[in-house]
Amino acid sequence: MSTKPPKDHFNILYFASAGSYTSKNVEALPAPLPLRKLFDTLEERYKGIRASVLDHSLVTINLTYVDMPEDSAEVDEAEEVVIQEGDEVAIIPPVSSG
Amino acid sequence: MGEGTRAGAPTNGTRNGHSRRLDDDEFDRYSRQMVVPGMGKEGQLRLINGRVLIIGAGGLGCPAAQYIAGAGVGTIGIVDGDVVEASNLHRQVGHATSRIGMLKVDSLITHLRGLNHLPTYIAHPFPLTPQNAADIIAGYDLVLDCTDNPATRYLISDVCVLLCKPLVSAASVQKSGQLIVLNCPPSPQGLVDGGPYAPCYRCCFRKPPPPSSLVSCGEAGIMGPVVGMMGVAQAGEAIKILASALHLPPTEPSANQNQNLHQPTLLIYTYDLDAAPGPYTFRALKMSSRKPSCPSCGAGSTLSLEGIRAGDPNYEQFCAVNTPRCVLPLSERVTPAEFHAARERGELPRHVVLDTREREHFSFGSIEGAVNVPFGRLLMKAAAVQRDGGEVRGVLPEGVLTQTAGEGGGEGVEQIFVVCRRGLDSQEAVEKLKELGLEEGGRRRIVDIKGGMKAWKEEVDPGFPYI
Repeated sequence: MSTKPPKDHFNILYFASAGSYTSKNVEALPAPLPLRKLFDTLEERYKGIRASVLDHSLVTINLTYVDMPEDSAEVDEAEEVVIQEGDEVAIIPPVSSG
Repeated sequence: MGEGTRAGAPTNGTRNGHSRRLDDDEFDRYSRQMVVPGMGKEGQLRLINGRVLIIGAGGLGCPAAQYIAGAGVGTIGIVDGDVVEASNLHRQVGHATSRIGMLKVDSLITHLRGLNHLPTYIAHPFPLTPQNAADIIAGYDLVLDCTDNPATRYLISDVCVLLCKPLVSAASVQKSGQLIVLNCPPSPQGLVDGGPYAPCYRCCFRKPPPPSSLVSCGEAGIMGPVVGMMGVAQAGEAIKILASALHLPPTEPSANQNQNLHQPTLLIYTYDLDAAPGPYTFRALKMSSRKPSCPSCGAGSTLSLEGIRAGDPNYEQFCAVNTPRCVLPLSERVTPAEFHAARERGELPRHVVLDTREREHFSFGSIEGAVNVPFGRLLMKAAAVQRDGGEVRGVLPEGVLTQTAGEGGGEGVEQIFVVCRRGLDSQEAVEKLKELGLEEGGRRRIVDIKGGMKAWKEEVDPGFPYI
């Protein structure tokens, strides 16, 4: 079983270069967090991670792919994806070597 | 479940070839896999009639090819322009010490013939290019992407979309591996109505990583079992797809649909050298189906084989392959030979050498007196200082700027020489140190050693253990 995040937190997993950049495989971040704020939140913690890692990575919530909303897009509150307490988010950069 | 009722499977095994008796040779050889529920004689015949193209005869391609050949896939093509090197052998298990220097395709086919002489092996002893990709891929039913760079990955995916070929894609570097089945079953480019349809590589990974973040197996290293596991898994998927005809459009509307092929799983393997397998070692993540906005397979796609041949899209440019990173002016660079000569003559009284390679590289040796400051950690410390403030000197190990190498002793370092593996990171490190103000108003010189330890070995110390 995976480690459960503390109360009012979600787990975020960092794969491949995301793991090298943050020097960790997993950590807990405060929830709830709107998905469109995720990259800003990570950029605050790890300066430069957006351009080096996040912009070309794919993101999953609870093992399922999610589209990252555009920053500028109008937000319809009913459709806003929000990362909830206890969720598991993953940052997956492409790996190219073989 | 009977053969004929299996989802998407043909009723008599004839959808990708004719049904026939198996030869005695085939019967013996494939008996152990044919008795596996779901395989049977018809599954085996579909493998025998199947044609698989393996692009890349390296760490993924070798293990993948072994199992595909062993399973009796009838036609196996292999694309690779490289030759076997000793540093390949810890992971590229289809080659051999005795075949160092041989073309990888020839070496691998030699090995595969020893394993199973029945398949037809086709050598394509050159790299895949936008000019030759469509002609090669057109001759096969299914493609395995076992390559090592993003430009070729996008090229392969685009051509597979246009030629309606399923693609089993894997990748691996250092301690991670990824595997995904794409474009399976294939559907025509641009088709969105009546979906969902299976995605292509661009649906999943829209943008290539910036070149500065790209690491090759040569630089970052690779553990043999990690890439081997992904290659074997590729073979497993390829055999499954061919034996069960999952790559063909379903005969009944409900058939392949219930297998969720249009939302493939991305399998991720994370290998920790210093920890037992844990909850995150294997992760299976559900991807999205074909994206209507995908520039390759989506509704408005203008991609064409003619275009690709003529250089549109430009894969090298898309992946910025040849963009040189940060070239410093000559005044801030010195060749290893110049540095060495100046130091021998005692002209560098108060200097320090920073070696920005990873700890593992540094552990094999460096320039005498060099201090190891791994590039990644340097950038992170620099970012922290720039964000939170704090002592600029803190980005370097304690005492580095007060210690002195060479003659003179005294108060502090007047020159910093930065060296890395091949001379790219070191230039960025020089810029970063200057940006932080470590030149101290021109009182200190910060210089790049051109070409890194590779050039040091070539110009100064031929015996240096360069990796």
